[in-house]
Amino acid sequence: MLSLVLSALLMTTHAAEPQSKAFPYAYDQHDYPNGLRLITVPTDYPNVVALYIVVQTGSRNEIEPGKSGFAHFFEHIMFRGTKNVPPDEYERHLKRMGASSNASTWDDRTQYHTTFSKEDLELMLRLEADRFQNLYYPENVFRTEALAVLGEYNKNSAEPTEKLAEVLFDTAFDRHTYKHTTMGFLKDIQDMPNQFAYSRQFFDRYYRPEYTTIIVVGDVTPERVKTLIEKYWGPWKRGAFHAGIPAEPAHDKPRRNHIDWPSPTLPYVTVAYRTPGYDDQGRDSAALDILSSIAFSENSDIYRKLLIDEQIVDRLHVNNMDHVDPNLFQITARVKKKEDLARVEKEILAAVRHFQDKLVPISKLDTVKKRQRYAFALHLNNSEAIAESLAHYINLRRTPETINNIYSRYAEVTPADLRRVARKYFTDSERTVVTLATK
Amino acid sequence: MSKHVLSSLALILTTMATTNLMAAPPILQPGKSPLVTIRLTFRTGAAHEPAGKEGVASLMAAMLTEGGTRKLSYQQVIDAMFPMATEVDSQVDHEMITFSGETHIDNLEKYYALLRDMLLDPGWREEDLRRLKDDAINFLQVSLRGNNDEELGKEILYNWIYEGHPYGRHPAGRVSAIRALTIADLKQFYRAQLTQANLTIAIAGGYPKDFPGRVIADLDKLPKGEPSALRLPDPKPIRGRQLLMVEKKTRSVAMSMGFPIPVRRGHPDYLALLVAQSWLGQHRNSGVRLFDRIRAVRGLNYGDYAYIEYFPRGMFQFEPDPNLARRHQIFQVWIRPVEPATAHFTLRLAIYELERLHRTGLSEDDFDRTRSFLSKYVNLLTRTKRAELGYAVDSAFYGISEYNSYIKEGLKTLTRDQVNAAIRKHLSPDNMKIVLIGENCEALRADIVAGKPSPITYNSPKLDDVVAEDKIVADFPIKIPSSAAKVEPVERFFE
Repeated sequence: MLSLVLSALLMTTHAAEPQSKAFPYAYDQHDYPNGLRLITVPTDYPNVVALYIVVQTGSRNEIEPGKSGFAHFFEHIMFRGTKNVPPDEYERHLKRMGASSNASTWDDRTQYHTTFSKEDLELMLRLEADRFQNLYYPENVFRTEALAVLGEYNKNSAEPTEKLAEVLFDTAFDRHTYKHTTMGFLKDIQDMPNQFAYSRQFFDRYYRPEYTTIIVVGDVTPERVKTLIEKYWGPWKRGAFHAGIPAEPAHDKPRRNHIDWPSPTLPYVTVAYRTPGYDDQGRDSAALDILSSIAFSENSDIYRKLLIDEQIVDRLHVNNMDHVDPNLFQITARVKKKEDLARVEKEILAAVRHFQDKLVPISKLDTVKKRQRYAFALHLNNSEAIAESLAHYINLRRTPETINNIYSRYAEVTPADLRRVARKYFTDSERTVVTLATK
Repeated sequence: MSKHVLSSLALILTTMATTNLMAAPPILQPGKSPLVTIRLTFRTGAAHEPAGKEGVASLMAAMLTEGGTRKLSYQQVIDAMFPMATEVDSQVDHEMITFSGETHIDNLEKYYALLRDMLLDPGWREEDLRRLKDDAINFLQVSLRGNNDEELGKEILYNWIYEGHPYGRHPAGRVSAIRALTIADLKQFYRAQLTQANLTIAIAGGYPKDFPGRVIADLDKLPKGEPSALRLPDPKPIRGRQLLMVEKKTRSVAMSMGFPIPVRRGHPDYLALLVAQSWLGQHRNSGVRLFDRIRAVRGLNYGDYAYIEYFPRGMFQFEPDPNLARRHQIFQVWIRPVEPATAHFTLRLAIYELERLHRTGLSEDDFDRTRSFLSKYVNLLTRTKRAELGYAVDSAFYGISEYNSYIKEGLKTLTRDQVNAAIRKHLSPDNMKIVLIGENCEALRADIVAGKPSPITYNSPKLDDVVAEDKIVADFPIKIPSSAAKVEPVERFFE
């Protein structure tokens, strides 16, 4: 009874204050007995439907040594079809639908997305249900696809920031699987063709309903989507695997590494600190996000000094992406002259110290909060973009409500919170610095 | 009559009076969205630059959007945009310069005031020029030449095909010319080219009724100008197959190849070639011919695509940016990097497929499927207001109806015979330029011009038809004589 009253209360609140929600769309969240979750968001954008299937498995789940890159490999293999619908037939369906289809893998998740016309909804859900439940690929196909993955590594390999990320994570982590990037170590990619048996095991472990959330956004009704999912995805069997992801112990001293780049480039420096996993209940995640903007975005003091006034840096990026487990808060600068590399590193460290010592003016904090809301609203300009934004949060907490939670936390952050998280997380012992320059 | 109605009437009259001078009538798409999208496109660009001033179009546009206004320094512009989470973007191609942005309706007045000053009252400060010159040079020397072999291959192919033509340089310019540009050069180009005669205004979203009228009245401050009379000659015909290998230290070999086509949107063969290109290599799509034969069946690389329109930045995006409209286009094939050991074989396979397409065309089934794909896929291309406006501006440039209906209606009556006739007419790979980016080019060049066999081995057994085809491809004559194959160091390009 109490829960009924509570839900009624929440519904009333929801209805009374729709404007105050960071995620402005009404959504339907439904759980199936096998552990699968469905989120449906009807929108006013006509005709088009965006389908995002989020599997909470990424390179973080690659726990065995020598097997880095497998979550990403699966993104490829999933397009190799089933005995019911061979790959050429799957492609033929997509072509007929004029669908845009792709997939992406990241540290914590793999997602498969298709955007298509509403009349193709049932067919699309049936095809996707089939490949998630009945994926079939013989060993020769597997070995060929492993080469396409190497091709993907190759096409990225002329870009220094790819190497910078590879070395940064390898240096900053000892035990946690964030040690390798999503692409994986080159030696593991080269060995992939020999790992057929492991690939089957990987699929069996992680391509399961309890790891999966289906997001449907667009010109749809929740009732129809619910029924179709029940019909095609209902028989999917729940799994039983829990990955024991090793925790990264505390570090006792700062780390650094350097990359000699074989061809001409501008030098880079990245300063990174280990920061906590995503949390929409406490304020630390929110405070670090806001701090990343105040301290290192284009209206920060250091940006003005190094890019606009002195013009010794041509790019300054801060990266504080949400992760399931503690990951890295990264500040990266591309420096115009090699002799300024050390000086730029010192400037970044000085900026960090500044925010550990001084309180940020409240006006500055308010500006960033305002920006965050508008940035999010500006991004939600079509069904696909809404689904994509949702997918990011679904990967972290499996419900759109986490968006409203984290935006509430943003609203609560105070200048004292910013100083507190800067002191707590930007410590010497959890710092990793990586530089890259032409040999 | 109320004052409000009077002022609305006045605005409509202003609109009517002003639009006659513009390149195309304003494109207005009012709606309920809380966002407002603005695109201001000028029919001018890098092809209009005076000799020796290559890069002035791009640098001028950057000075407007990434420099200050007369009232505000660049930092002050950043600070003003920051809470609104928006900016003004510029895009410069050979025949179009676009300034665009999107704002939440809450901020429309503030945002528009900034945009207006950026466009009409730029700051022209030396310190901004210094920074933006560095950016432009670093883009060409570091981002493109150093760190992105695929985009490098495509842009060198364009430069080479359009040698001696106004398109024959990167739209961002040339390093030596950029170094020499002055504020006076930028101002001169700005005054001569950003004119009302070159302008198309496009606005969408939940803007107030009087907003377009105000924009039009403000842009009336731009010089009137005359429609551009720039003559663009046909590119020089290519004789036979020609190879340019670009030597740089890199892990793999990137390939781009192509030749000019007289076909652009509005040409009677445009839809036929669109179908052919989609079947052969629809951008970032699996299940198309090149992707299937090179990547899916043989695992030689990550992907293989074909184009009939300029599509820069293809490795970063799934759909092309609008407002890259050009009077001249090329047919182009993009082979993503391959392992050096398989480069010769892959090049042969790509040319083998192009010859096959030219010889046999599409089957009825291929044609039906591709036509069906394109008639729905076109909806996805215009799914944002930004894209919808951009495509509308391009349609005005090409003199066609609204893009979606142009494609859908045209596809309805298109036949397989028309597609295959257009392939035979326009897509002969006999006269083609090929660009390879890689290391140890001399050795590969020697193998290619000698027609040395390039047998291939795999890490897994292949079906009989693939094995048989590989035997043909391993000896397939690429037909590039030594005199048509050169190796050049990467440092030479874009200087």
